[in-house]
Amino acid sequence: MNLKGKWTITVVMGIVCFVLIAVMFMQFKTVNQTDITSIEIMRESELRSELASWKSKYEDVQEKVEENNERIEEYKQGTEDNVKATQLLEEELNQAKTSLGLTDVVGEGVVVTLEDNDTPPDYYSEDDVYDGRINVYDILQLINELKLAGAEAISINDIRVVDKTDIAWVMDTYIVVDGVRISSPYVVKAIGNQTALESGLMQKDSGYMDKIINAEDKKATVQRENEIEIYKYDKDWDTKYIQEN
Amino acid sequence: MGLLIAIVVGCVLGLIFGINAPIIPYTYSGYLAIAIVAALDSVFGGITSVLNKKFDMKIFVSGFFGNAILSILLTYLGEKLNVDIYLAAIVVFVGRMFTNLSIIRRYYIDKWSQKKQEKEDENKQKTV
Repeated sequence: MNLKGKWTITVVMGIVCFVLIAVMFMQFKTVNQTDITSIEIMRESELRSELASWKSKYEDVQEKVEENNERIEEYKQGTEDNVKATQLLEEELNQAKTSLGLTDVVGEGVVVTLEDNDTPPDYYSEDDVYDGRINVYDILQLINELKLAGAEAISINDIRVVDKTDIAWVMDTYIVVDGVRISSPYVVKAIGNQTALESGLMQKDSGYMDKIINAEDKKATVQRENEIEIYKYDKDWDTKYIQEN
Repeated sequence: MGLLIAIVVGCVLGLIFGINAPIIPYTYSGYLAIAIVAALDSVFGGITSVLNKKFDMKIFVSGFFGNAILSILLTYLGEKLNVDIYLAAIVVFVGRMFTNLSIIRRYYIDKWSQKKQEKEDENKQKTV
């Protein structure tokens, strides 16, 4: 009995010790890994008041955020309108530029080639005077005819012809366009309705081609083309004397 | 002797188990803390009763687990009532721990001084 009693005591004490120490160290581990103190101090009522204050703060911040968002929307609208206005202005500007000839353009039209001709045709006799050179009046007349036929852009040897363009005849020999000398062959490009342009030039007896080829025996050809590139007028266009009325 | 070995073995095993065991869920750690204090108090009470030769296994074990469970229940009740009842439990348990500790201390110091006295008496007898 005594031995059994002692044995019981020993075992029970062992178990008790084990449980106590084990639980103690588990608790140590738990406390070590969670920062209890700050939350533990607060009781329910404190937590409630904290929560309420945080809630009201949050709502305030929410309101401010909404206000700011609205303002951002307004500014966006403002800039959108601004952007539209700028776009319209830009479009107008581009159109004006194109019409003036300040932009490179491409389109269908005709290409008229005039060439200086040295050899007279067969039926000329030696006494007849033959001047096969293209002179400035030929070119001016051609340009006028093209405009009449509805050409929207014209260039001679890739020099853009605009309202302001002058074509001069220096010493009766050289043709100078806007200060740039050009020589044969003279390639005149014109963008417009192909049919209108061609037929305008090819009219029998009164059209330009007939007059220049048949009446003066000069070398000239007209050709339709679909993608004619005409470069822009690249000189300065300053006005000193005209003013807005 | 066997008892001491059993206690030491139990402690070591508890140490190993406690350090490597999983963490207790955070919400229960409060209850566990107060239970540990109650258990410690009953251990010290047990030691005191051994010294007084009045050790009773049944009382010890029932006190150990009973106090722990009672303190957990009181803490839970306190939480429900929003009254910190666990504070009172801590005061009582730690107070009793100090009382028991002072009894143990007094016992051993008396024992030690008794031994010293006996030795001096022996020496006196020898010289005489």
